[in-house]
Amino acid sequence: MRTLVFIPAWNEEAALAGVIADVRKAIPEADLLVVDDGSTDATAERAREAGALVAALPFNQGLGAALQTGYLYALRNGYDACAHLDADGQHPAEEVARLLAEVTADRADLVIGSRYHAGAVAASGDYRPTFSRRIGTSVFRFFLTLATRQRFTDTTSGMRAANRRVMALFSKHYSPDFAEIESLQLAVRQGLRVEELPVRMLERAGGSSFLTPLRSAFFIFKGLVVLLVGQFRPRHVEAE
Amino acid sequence: MGLVLAAEAGQVHLTSQTRIVAAALALVFMLMILELIRRDRLQERYSVIWFVAGLGMLAGAAFPGLLEVFANLMGVRNTNVALFSIVLLLLLGLALNFSVIMSRQAAQITRLAQERAIEKALAEKRAGGANGNGSSGQQALEPEEERLEG
Repeated sequence: MRTLVFIPAWNEEAALAGVIADVRKAIPEADLLVVDDGSTDATAERAREAGALVAALPFNQGLGAALQTGYLYALRNGYDACAHLDADGQHPAEEVARLLAEVTADRADLVIGSRYHAGAVAASGDYRPTFSRRIGTSVFRFFLTLATRQRFTDTTSGMRAANRRVMALFSKHYSPDFAEIESLQLAVRQGLRVEELPVRMLERAGGSSFLTPLRSAFFIFKGLVVLLVGQFRPRHVEAE
Repeated sequence: MGLVLAAEAGQVHLTSQTRIVAAALALVFMLMILELIRRDRLQERYSVIWFVAGLGMLAGAAFPGLLEVFANLMGVRNTNVALFSIVLLLLLGLALNFSVIMSRQAAQITRLAQERAIEKALAEKRAGGANGNGSSGQQALEPEEERLEG
C-alpha cells in the first residue's frame, strides 16, 4: 500500500515546516509532496529544507489547480491512497492518518475531515469559525445536502483522503474556481462512497484567512451557481 | 442631398453615400482580416466569425431592404433601433465566444503548468534530491488516466 500526502501551499513559509514535520511524525510511511502554487515567498525552499518533494506551479493558479496537481501526481505515480491537508497548520496530521485509515480499509472512496461533525470535540486552542464563515458553512451545508441527498457538515474542509478512483476522477475534473464543494457533489454523483469523519482542527498558525464579508458573499454566490450547474452534469463520466 | 433611397416603405434612412461608405468599410475590414492572417497575427479558425461580420456589413450596405425585413421580424418600427440591436447582439455573441475560448485556454494553461510542476518534481526526485521518500518506483502513464476535456 503506497500512500502520498500532499500539501497545497501558497505563501505559507511560516507554518509549512511545522506541518511537514507533523506529517512525517504521524504518517511516517507516506511519501510527501508540497504543491507550491506560485508562491512569492520562501515556501518552496522551506519545503525542500524540511525534506519534502516540491511540485512548483509556475504561477498562482488557485487552490483547485494545486489540489488537482496533487491528485494527478498520485495517480501518475501509482499511489494506492492519497491525502491532503492545509499548509497553515490548522490540520493535525494524526487526524489525517485517521482519514487515510478509512480509505485503506476500503470503507470509503473519499473521506472528508469535518470540524463541525457532531463527534468533533473542541478543546482550547481548537478551531473556532468566524461569523461569516459560519453563515457560508450553513448555506453550503444546506444546498450540498439538497443536491447530493447526503448529509455533509463541513463542505469546505481541505483535509481529505482518497483512493485511486477519486484520483482518476479529480485529476480530470476539478473546478479551479470552486474546488471543495463541486468536487464533493461530483464524487457523490459519480457513485463514489464519500464519508465524513469528525476531526479536530486548530487555529491557524500563520497567515490570515482570505475571507472578508464581501468576499464571503461573492464566495457563497459563486458556490450556489456551481452547485446548480453541477446538478445538470451527466451522472457518469463516459469512458474515453 | 435629399437622396433618400427608400427600399419599399421609405423607412430606411440610408443615403447612397452612407451605403458606399459602409460597403467600403466592410471591404477594408475584410482585407484587414486577410492581412492579419497572412502575417500570422490571427489564426484562420478565429477569423471565420469576423468574415461573417464583414459580409453582414456588406450585405446591409448592398441591400437596405434586409434591415427592413429584420426590423419587421423583431417587431421594431424604427430601423435604426433594429440596426443597433443587431450589432449589439452580434458583439455580445462575439464577446461570449471569446470567453469560451479564454476558458478553454485557461484550462489548457493550468494543465500545462501542472504537467511541468510534476515533471520537475519527478526530475528532482530522480536526481536524488533532498527527499527521503522510500518506496517510490516510478510507473509509466496509467491507462485509467484521462485527458482534460475541451
